[in-house]
Amino acid sequence: MTRTQDRLFWLEERQLAPRWSTAVSGLVNLAALIVAVAIVWWVFFSIEGIFKLYTPLLGFSMVIWTLLIILWQAQLFDFWPLSRGFLENAHPLSKGAVLTLITIAVYLLLLFGIVWFIIGRLGITYFNWQSLAKYGELGQDMLSTRETASWAMLCLSIPFFLVGVWFMLGIGKDLFHELGQPKFGLANWLFVAVIAIPMYVIFFHPHLGSMFYPKQIYAAVPPWWESIAQTNSAEYTVGILFCSVIGVFLALNLWDGWPFDLVGRQPWRFFYFALCSLVIGYVIFRIQLYIFDYLWYEAYVGGQNEANFGWRYSHTVTMANFVLVIAIIQNTFFGPAYEKMNRIVGSIIKTVVAIILGLCFAWAYYNWGPTLLGVTEGVSHPSENASAFLILIINIVMIQDLFMDRWPGYQLKK
Amino acid sequence: MDRRNFLKRLAATGTGIALSGTVGTLSKAHAAKGGKEDFGEIKSLKVHCISETSWFDNATLGKDIKAAGGINTNQYDVAYTEENLGGYAALVEVEALDGSKKKYLLDTGWSNDWVDYVFAKDGIDKMLQSKEIDTLFISHDHIDHYFGIESTLKHQPDIKIYFPGTSMPKSFELLKGADFSATPGCPKNSVPHTGELVVTTPDKLYKIQDGMALKFFDCPATLQVRGENVLYFKIKDKGYVTVTGCCHPGILTLLSHARRNFKDGNKNYGCYGGLHISVFENWDPKFDDIIKGVKSFNMQKIGCNHCTGWIWAEKAEQSGLPIVHGTDKNLSYKKVGSLSRAKTSNVYLGNGDEMVF
Repeated sequence: MTRTQDRLFWLEERQLAPRWSTAVSGLVNLAALIVAVAIVWWVFFSIEGIFKLYTPLLGFSMVIWTLLIILWQAQLFDFWPLSRGFLENAHPLSKGAVLTLITIAVYLLLLFGIVWFIIGRLGITYFNWQSLAKYGELGQDMLSTRETASWAMLCLSIPFFLVGVWFMLGIGKDLFHELGQPKFGLANWLFVAVIAIPMYVIFFHPHLGSMFYPKQIYAAVPPWWESIAQTNSAEYTVGILFCSVIGVFLALNLWDGWPFDLVGRQPWRFFYFALCSLVIGYVIFRIQLYIFDYLWYEAYVGGQNEANFGWRYSHTVTMANFVLVIAIIQNTFFGPAYEKMNRIVGSIIKTVVAIILGLCFAWAYYNWGPTLLGVTEGVSHPSENASAFLILIINIVMIQDLFMDRWPGYQLKK
Repeated sequence: MDRRNFLKRLAATGTGIALSGTVGTLSKAHAAKGGKEDFGEIKSLKVHCISETSWFDNATLGKDIKAAGGINTNQYDVAYTEENLGGYAALVEVEALDGSKKKYLLDTGWSNDWVDYVFAKDGIDKMLQSKEIDTLFISHDHIDHYFGIESTLKHQPDIKIYFPGTSMPKSFELLKGADFSATPGCPKNSVPHTGELVVTTPDKLYKIQDGMALKFFDCPATLQVRGENVLYFKIKDKGYVTVTGCCHPGILTLLSHARRNFKDGNKNYGCYGGLHISVFENWDPKFDDIIKGVKSFNMQKIGCNHCTGWIWAEKAEQSGLPIVHGTDKNLSYKKVGSLSRAKTSNVYLGNGDEMVF
């Protein structure tokens, strides 16, 4: 078994080049992305499609977990168990198919096997909608319980995402580097879980405990953030922690990793990375709340739709995701166009483009989404969450980038 | 990275944070604009619950909607279990300051069988035929508030109707006479509407009579429906009362709208109707926020039923809100909802109950 410290990860080693000019290659990839997203959305998620998984929370929880698994494969497990020869020589379509199937298999095993089937049936009721309907009181039917269980899975993904990002990018190979794969990936993953699970218990479990009548106060403390957030809903913690994850990816895609690269020596790099992500996330979160206040007046306790504190917290994630999608597409498909620019100038241009196009994208989604995607009309619809669609797009860009070497617009340099 | 560059970059981040702190002050100027409306006063208001049981079993309706694709499916595409269907309707009786009284119908239910039954039970059919009731307010075009339109029109085809401008195209077709009943539980109307149709929009307040006004809120609802008409009343020496079908805009939106836009708008006396909170008796911590928010408005009488959620009503009462209890009249109706049968408490104003403000 090769020690992790002795060789580069596949993503570090591979070199990609546009197949044609940067603009043409980027546009070809964009076209391929649009086609792929349309097919996947209509087959699996749209309420007018085949599987109708966009309920919306069931679909949302699925895309967020699959994105996490895609990143684990690339950043923690270095595509184990696939050989380097396969990664170097197989056609991108073959690689994409194999790695996507692995992603789906891991998702089914982890979420539906362990969390839903085992934990939800033998441990924590709210992870399984059938258990909830079985043990619930008045009116706990599948339509409601499926959303509750999906919300719980969604919440569980957030600390795994945030801590995972701290480890994947803030630690990298600095821990357990003497191990080969899959030990290296597994060791890091378990370390992530050790931190993420208590975070879930603190930041989200109180919300879940309050989702029943009477409140499950002997199993979960009432939401401790109420006096800070003006709501009992964990959308407050979702907003801050999710924006923190988004902040890291914005920095990677818009500012070449600044300011996360300011500290290089461990363990300070890890702590600085974690703190920095939280600070940037909070700034993204808070700035948007000020803008929402301006657009829709101040929120008030118990308000509905735009006037609801929880919805606004959640909407910071949605709007940040609109910008993030553009930032990722811009960097992944059109990145070489910025390589010759001064770093600061390039970062400013990329940021301005991402914000402007992100807002245009949001406008288009809310105006044309009901027709093109079959989503419901309205920005603040209680059963609508654009992040499901946006994270699906990121999933497919990641499959195209990490699994398929940005095919068809890009190719491996031999 | 040398120390000077580190500090420069740190300063850039700090400037961003400082900038973010100034944006919020803009909202205060925005909130200050707008005048207060005065649409008069009435002496008293009586609301009679013709029917609040839009369906009789939550799980059955939930199963139908889930099978069709979930809560965002088009309401005309869901195959409903027909024996589960009821409908929402209320009789609103207004006493003007001079003592004269006028009756209005709010909503027209869902299943024609059920609506015909409850209309006959309360004499609504005769009131329509004699034009004692000459105006129908459709709060919104949801299944349970509007699909029973034929039951009203067959008694008075030329009744004046206030109709939400955001209603679905098929809902407008239904009004003119259409048949969607090939899908179980979907409506038909063989009596086209011939009277005045007021299509409501969010930009104005519709004064119905002194002390009574209708406000349309463009807000999202389930099953691809949007918007809701809400009735506001100002009762002399008491304050404002809202009467709603489902209250999709949210009770606190209604109270806040009155506070911001109506003369003496901070005097909120009470409300009647569905409040659309824990509709399927599921709970969310946000619903605790609503209890806290409503408490801050010091209402004197809260009459709720239908989509409010039994759980919310019970928790609201436990927290000290003045929930008006219903009687057991509903148990004598030919059909009784599964929640009423469970008889957990009488926190709902049930079928046949009345509330006076």
